[in-house]
Amino acid sequence: MSFSLKDNLESTFKDVQVSMPEDTRMAIFVPRETAFAVLRYLSDKGFDHLALVSCVDWQEEGKFEIVYILTSYMRNNTDYIPEQRLHLFLKTRISRKNPELKSVIDVFENAEPYEREIHELFGVHFEGHPRLIPLFLEREYEIPPFRKDFDNRKYVEETFNSIPSVED
Amino acid sequence: MDRNQITKWLKSPAKMANKYSLHVIYFCTGCGIIEIPPVITAKWDAERFGVIPVATPRQANLFLIAGYVSLKTLKAIIRTYEQMPEPKYTVSFGSCPINGGMYWDSYNTIKHLDKFIPVDGWIAGCMPRPEAIFVGITHLWTLIDKEMADGYIRYRKNYAAYRRNQEMLFSNLGWPPLYSIDDEPEGGSQEAGVGK
Repeated sequence: MSFSLKDNLESTFKDVQVSMPEDTRMAIFVPRETAFAVLRYLSDKGFDHLALVSCVDWQEEGKFEIVYILTSYMRNNTDYIPEQRLHLFLKTRISRKNPELKSVIDVFENAEPYEREIHELFGVHFEGHPRLIPLFLEREYEIPPFRKDFDNRKYVEETFNSIPSVED
Repeated sequence: MDRNQITKWLKSPAKMANKYSLHVIYFCTGCGIIEIPPVITAKWDAERFGVIPVATPRQANLFLIAGYVSLKTLKAIIRTYEQMPEPKYTVSFGSCPINGGMYWDSYNTIKHLDKFIPVDGWIAGCMPRPEAIFVGITHLWTLIDKEMADGYIRYRKNYAAYRRNQEMLFSNLGWPPLYSIDDEPEGGSQEAGVGK
């Protein structure tokens, strides 16, 4: 099943690199324009469980890498073979200066908090997200705190350690 | 009852009763919650020391803060502390509320809890053993005896400074000052003294 999926992906979409690091693991690298279409295609194929959306900051290359981890439940996957249970991750790179990506809420509804989190901690804007409001943070940060160029120690020095003690 | 304490009981019964029935509200974040269930249940049984967990801050007089304090948590801690009836005591548990602990360079964790609310006792460690809570409780008894556990009095006295520190982190705190902050140079508002 996994090998046919690989062939199908490569024949359906151009610029898609599919590799199999392990027998049960598949890595898909796509450009940002086709990421949404590939995710919809995979969802139709039975990969209906979006386990995680994550982000990696490649500062030297000036890119953010958005990672989607997908698995499939047996009942929906007609091609399911227990020996070939597939763990699938899809990676796409977007510009660091103008980080924008289409939201995948239309395909995977549970992407909503993940995208909010990435928006808050990395400053990536997701087009079509209904409410990109802060999820965890109370204060506003000039640089989103999970970016590599955010200086933790300087921030702590300026924000927390500059508050005076009340007594002695 | 200990015979040696009879004079103390006769002298200030309210204080002694208060001391031996600490109704505690736990504020557990992160690893702090791991140590609390064995403390309040059969294994270590905090009720031997008169420490019993209660449901709401309005019934509590001991506030045990276990674990790191993030900004969102700090807001809740201040609200909880201000709701507790006096006399109230605060004990912080673990090294994170003391000086940040392993979160010393974190972007979202406050480093010194005593800049925002008064703290009567510290239990250091990462994490301390449950026995340390009982050591802390017996120390707190001594402090109450000597009237040194006066955090709530200091909070009243230095409320302007505490409130100023709190507002340095949260530009919009969302609730009015508990006590009057009239000694502020710009002059606290008249309705500030009303509190809650």
